[in-house]
Amino acid sequence: MFGSPMFLWALLAAGIPLMLHMFQRRRTVNTPFPTIRFLKAAQKRSSSRVRFENFLLWLLRTALLVALALAFARPVLRNVAGADSFLGRSRRDVAIVIDGSYSMNYEMDRGKVWSLCKDAAVQIVQALHPGDRVCVYLAASTAVPVIEKPTTEHATVVGAIQALSSTHVSAKLDEAVAAAIRTLDALKEKTEKEVFVLTDGQALSWDGFRSSKTKEDGDGQERISRENRDKVALFTLLAGAVSSENAFPAHVKVSPPLMLQGQSARVAVRVGRTGAPKPVTVTLKIDGQENGSRSVTAEPGTEASVEFVLNNLEAGVHVASVSTPKDALAEDDAFQFLLRVNRRLPVLVVGGEEAVRYLRVALAPGASDDSVRQVAPGALDTVDLRDFQAVFFCDALPLSGQDVLRIETYVQNGGVAVFFPGETCDPSAYATFKILPAQPGEVASVASADAARFLRRLPRKEGQAVDFTMPLPPGTMPTIALKRILRIDGEPAEQAATLVTAGEGTPFLLGRAVGRGRCFLFTVGATREWSTFPLTAFFVPVVHQLIRQGSGASVQPAHVTLGASMPANEAIPNYREEDKITVPSGAPLLVKETGGRNFVLEELPEPGIYLRTKADASDEPVLAVNTDRAESKLDPVSPDDVAECTGFKNCVVAADAEELARLVEERRNGRSFTELVLWLALLLSLAEWGFANVALRSRKGATEDLTVSMTGKVTGG
Amino acid sequence: MQKEGISAYLNVAQMAKLNQLVLNSRYVVEGTLAGRHRSAQKGSSTEFADHRSYMPGDDLKRIDWKVLGRTDKYYIRRYQDETNLRVYLLLDRSGSMYYTSDPDRPTKYAYAATLAAALGYVVLKARDAVGMYIYGEKMDAALPCRNSFNEWNNSLKVLQTFKPEKGTHGADVMHQIAEAISRRALVVLVSDLLDDQEGIVKAVAHFRKNMHDVIVFHTLDPVELTLNLKRGAEFEDLETGEKIIADPRSMAKEYKDIMGAFIETYRKAFAEMKVDYRLVTTDEPVDTFVRAYLEERKRMSR
Repeated sequence: MFGSPMFLWALLAAGIPLMLHMFQRRRTVNTPFPTIRFLKAAQKRSSSRVRFENFLLWLLRTALLVALALAFARPVLRNVAGADSFLGRSRRDVAIVIDGSYSMNYEMDRGKVWSLCKDAAVQIVQALHPGDRVCVYLAASTAVPVIEKPTTEHATVVGAIQALSSTHVSAKLDEAVAAAIRTLDALKEKTEKEVFVLTDGQALSWDGFRSSKTKEDGDGQERISRENRDKVALFTLLAGAVSSENAFPAHVKVSPPLMLQGQSARVAVRVGRTGAPKPVTVTLKIDGQENGSRSVTAEPGTEASVEFVLNNLEAGVHVASVSTPKDALAEDDAFQFLLRVNRRLPVLVVGGEEAVRYLRVALAPGASDDSVRQVAPGALDTVDLRDFQAVFFCDALPLSGQDVLRIETYVQNGGVAVFFPGETCDPSAYATFKILPAQPGEVASVASADAARFLRRLPRKEGQAVDFTMPLPPGTMPTIALKRILRIDGEPAEQAATLVTAGEGTPFLLGRAVGRGRCFLFTVGATREWSTFPLTAFFVPVVHQLIRQGSGASVQPAHVTLGASMPANEAIPNYREEDKITVPSGAPLLVKETGGRNFVLEELPEPGIYLRTKADASDEPVLAVNTDRAESKLDPVSPDDVAECTGFKNCVVAADAEELARLVEERRNGRSFTELVLWLALLLSLAEWGFANVALRSRKGATEDLTVSMTGKVTGG
Repeated sequence: MQKEGISAYLNVAQMAKLNQLVLNSRYVVEGTLAGRHRSAQKGSSTEFADHRSYMPGDDLKRIDWKVLGRTDKYYIRRYQDETNLRVYLLLDRSGSMYYTSDPDRPTKYAYAATLAAALGYVVLKARDAVGMYIYGEKMDAALPCRNSFNEWNNSLKVLQTFKPEKGTHGADVMHQIAEAISRRALVVLVSDLLDDQEGIVKAVAHFRKNMHDVIVFHTLDPVELTLNLKRGAEFEDLETGEKIIADPRSMAKEYKDIMGAFIETYRKAFAEMKVDYRLVTTDEPVDTFVRAYLEERKRMSR
């Protein structure tokens, strides 16, 4: 095909050398010469060589003129059938997919990758011909349609692209490309279909293609059909840096999860890095004040750990962050989290006034302390167990079946349930519980002669899930006087063990690991009517240790990942329906009720600290949301990988907008051979010049080997 | 006014340049006058040659009395005769001599005439005699050998009247001349030698056989050596009128090879018969060439 076929007429010029040759042969000048006998002999000797040389010269000159004529005609090689022809051009439907992940904010010398991609998108739209339709998708955690219905109003599309901003999540390019192709596929007209993917070249964004290559969606169809992979042309711009450098705090773990005032805690930070190994300084700030900084060297593609120790934190919620020095990708340089420090752990005591008297005093020596709450067994359904670290049941059985289920769920999720038998408690009521360490039998009286018992902690057996230490003050003898005791007849249940005995073979405290939580059963009640245990010096430490055994059914995470969905109570302490949560930008957070007073936070929209506005109009930090740091790993994808993982037959990959424009041009109009032909013409002209002026002229003859002196003496030859 | 005689060929400056030069023969010559050249004859001079037995009739004053005293035999002392040099210039005026590749350059014939005039001038300045033969298809002029400037001037005037003609039979004419020159002399041939090569060589050998010293000035135009012409043309033979269309650029190498072989044949043949063969191209000034040649010849004869 030719860009300017009119110039093909110039091919007639190829006959010029022949014509000139013929003309020259006829137009001769008469030249006298001393003798022509030498000319005749030379002509005879050179005729075959001259004919060959003349033929070569003619060939070179003709080829040169043909090459020049072809160059003017702009020859192109079509890549696709049905492309633009002499008479007109076919219409195009174009989908532009822009990577919206936060790694697109990587700052390069030329500017942010995001800006480069947006500019490239604008160029693509502006290069379209009137009548070409275009739609635009933003690849985020899902495909976000920017211009969903393909339109010919290119100015509108350009405006929409320029108004786009990047997101804080990872991009799923496969979903966005699939959505774009579905949109193009829905257009019935027979047009050329092209999809442009403008991204930073991060390998992560393309992982979806690999995993979804054979995956089928809900309607049993492949996400991108083979037919579309063959039919649609995929143009990809990998605009990011070839070797990116990025250091970032990848994860923070606070231990223990339940922090008490006065206790020390540890903050373990994992630091990730892309690029060459380099020391990274990690700085910890609490409530805006720098708490410490440490240096760590992270190898590329791995994560290094660094720890901070926190001491003497005040009770309350502290906003903390770990940060790395500012680099080209500033979005992931800080990682925020909350430190919730309790004065005491919240405990619920279930039972009558008399039954819980000693326990309440042990748990909350000051009467005004609100960390211990007491409810009657019948009012258990009015409280949310998840608000408490541990629940003590003192002579509280039997309970309703609903409450039993709630307690079991609570323990499964990490809570601690401690059972003390009571006066009114029928041992058969224990049978309804599936979480108890053992099923108790009858209550037995202990003779006064046998009342004094020494409490002994049994050593931990191998594989025992539940553990207990006897924290006794110095000089304290763990001895109690028993009046009554709940007899344990059978063997402990699965994952259960007898932790303390009161005399030989008499279980005193049994424990069982249930899910993430613990269930404990005392064989004596929490009153004087059962034993002297509530009056002993070790009653308080034992009880407090039990509370800490749980992993915290009411422990909210120090930080959550952006886009996560979770029950409100798991994320926000003591969440109530009337609570107003605001996101960092100031907008209210949408909380969805799923029924039964269950609330769910759906897809946390932006990173930062979320606040709860209290009744007194003061704000309390309740959530620290961070971006998913998988996106921070900037390992690049190669053009071959793109072609391989996408599986598109026509896949073109460019490193910058100019190259993309050139490749698009080549594909649409065909590859131009003009430059090549011009180079050929230049070579031919050089060959012709060299042949005609150097090769033919440089031949030495015998007379040039003769040496004639000034006196005419001839030597050599 | 058109110049005549020697002034048509040489100006005063050129003649002054040639004043001190001498054209010597490498062999003994036979002149008619006493001169500075060795003669084949024995005669009166200061240079002793040999003895011979006294014969009746010899002059008694030539008897070597010292030999008579020693040997009691009569011997006559003989002395080397010294005579003048007679130079014969053979000028080719065949058609091919009427060629020049550049209008600003003389034709080969004009160049040969100037060369002859210069040599004649040098010979006469040394009080030797010079004669000239002009030939083409036949002998056109045989100008006598004299040691007079006036005679030589007249000869050159005659030379001016000749123009190159069509054909050439140089070999025949040269044989004729060789028979005509009775005494040993110096024969100078100025020609482009574009003739039957064997015939020319035989004719020159004829001169050598008659004990003449021979110099051949092979006069050519530079283009004849290299065929350095820019464009193709129809070439016309100046002697036969035959025509040929040829592209000199494409056949230059072969031409140069053929011309090289042509020159080499002459060079070898003349070297064998001890003929002084010189190749002269018309782009070299005559006076410069003659001066350089004669100085070299003088050096060689010492």
